[in-house]
Amino acid sequence: MNSCFEMPPKRKRVSANMAANVNSKPGCWKVPEVYKHHEQHNACFSRPKYRDGRRAKAVKVYTINLESRYVMIQGVPAIGVMEELIQLCALYGTVEEYRPLDEYPAEEFTEVYLVKFQKLTSARAAKRNMDEKSFYGGVLHVCYVPEYESVEDTKLKLQDRRSYVLKVARSRAKERVADAVHMESTSSESVPTSSRVFATNNPIFNSDKTGETSSFSHCSGFPLLPLPPQEYFHQDYRGNEPTEDQMGTLHDAVPPDVKQQKVQNFSSFSKDPNSEKKLASNPDSSVKLVPRTAHLEKNKRRKMEEATKQPVPDSGEPSLIGPKLPEPHKLDMNDQSLNTTVNLIRGTMKQVTSVPDLKPAEKKVKPRRRI
Amino acid sequence: MRILFQMLLSQSFRIVTVKAKEQVLANLANFAYDPKNTEYLRQLQVTDLFLDMLTEKNENFIEFGMGGLCNLSMDPDCRDLILDSDGISLITNCLSNQREETVLSAITTLMNLVTPASQSQLTEPGILQCMLRFSLAESPRLHNLAAVFLQDCCTKDQVRQAEQQMQGQQMAVGIPLPKD
Repeated sequence: MNSCFEMPPKRKRVSANMAANVNSKPGCWKVPEVYKHHEQHNACFSRPKYRDGRRAKAVKVYTINLESRYVMIQGVPAIGVMEELIQLCALYGTVEEYRPLDEYPAEEFTEVYLVKFQKLTSARAAKRNMDEKSFYGGVLHVCYVPEYESVEDTKLKLQDRRSYVLKVARSRAKERVADAVHMESTSSESVPTSSRVFATNNPIFNSDKTGETSSFSHCSGFPLLPLPPQEYFHQDYRGNEPTEDQMGTLHDAVPPDVKQQKVQNFSSFSKDPNSEKKLASNPDSSVKLVPRTAHLEKNKRRKMEEATKQPVPDSGEPSLIGPKLPEPHKLDMNDQSLNTTVNLIRGTMKQVTSVPDLKPAEKKVKPRRRI
Repeated sequence: MRILFQMLLSQSFRIVTVKAKEQVLANLANFAYDPKNTEYLRQLQVTDLFLDMLTEKNENFIEFGMGGLCNLSMDPDCRDLILDSDGISLITNCLSNQREETVLSAITTLMNLVTPASQSQLTEPGILQCMLRFSLAESPRLHNLAAVFLQDCCTKDQVRQAEQQMQGQQMAVGIPLPKD
């Protein structure tokens, strides 16, 4: 079956340009150039463990220029599985166009395909998930091929990228403004009045930030203690971390949507009588208060790491079209069991070479026929 | 995440081997690709680090540094920082780099740096002529990016002027096209 890749005139011109290396004669069969960025670099094994990821990766920097909606897939076994390949690609997003690249140099018995996704994020997901994966007996190599873009494609790509970056920057600025406003409003209330230490031992069950801040500090019962840093103080971790809460069931009473708000609301304490008891009567709260702040800091850091770690691979786009594939098998590169085969082979070779009379039966390596 | 960056940065000053430096630099440049990280990177002065890399002799340092700047420069705050540190001249020098990746990153970065204040500097005849030459190059990525630069960053008059100047020049001491 043939693909119905219809190339509009504009694209024809581009592909012809792309294909011209030394062949300037029109009408000559032009071979597409093999660009450096198509090559798979050798994976870097010299990284120390703390910088090593789960998968062996080469040292490479990705910029918007290297990424593209156009993706090239090499190593597809030549057994008529184009449909299956495209179906696999479609898991990651709408495929606009595809065709086999017959003119591209390919290994024996394999084919090369050009796939154009509707969105860059789909291409990114496809590359991440399909690269180095086995497919009907072959190993796919997926790479971006921005050289197939037209000028318009490139312009749109840059524009999309720019608007995404600006959107993130704007939302960050909004957060910063909200923080600043919040800090201003609470800083005026932050001076502890030690005379009112046990006066307000009734936590205010509302979202009034100023009231709660002062009440909490007053309820600590230790006026000599310096207030913990305000910014950490204003995050209600009691609702988020049940495991680290040393004050009992306080966290349960906090409504779940609190977890979504970041540094915004110093949200409500529960009116849980246990909490009041513990706050008022806990003689060790001074000892617990300091490590708790450290806990809060650690949690905040951990949450931020989690929040930023996940979107890094695909640059923050959360929506994934189609079902998620299962997580790739996590390989521990230091596991000695990986070397079993190598050690076996080495052992065998040693034995074989130590007996010079015997000629080791050499197996002729045949290319595997794939039907 | 901030702690991770700090660790990486503090490591980078202690690491002696070039390869390790390259890895750290590449990591930072890739972090810079996610706009959620740009604020941290800016606070940790990674923008300045990338700019410094442009003056190094090691080609990988330049390529990765330029890539990092390309990633960061879309963010307005980073853009302003780069402009304030006289980034335009450093980046323009990279247009004559032998590596295509470096040149492409440089073109994109220059595009990102366009502001009302910087536009005149970015559309100097020298740069425009360079872009015109690139727009006739064989490499599709190069001629596409150069074309986008000429369309988006300058007026048709400026382009025409630059074309005329190029034709007028007998001995064009041009910026050579990168080898790939």
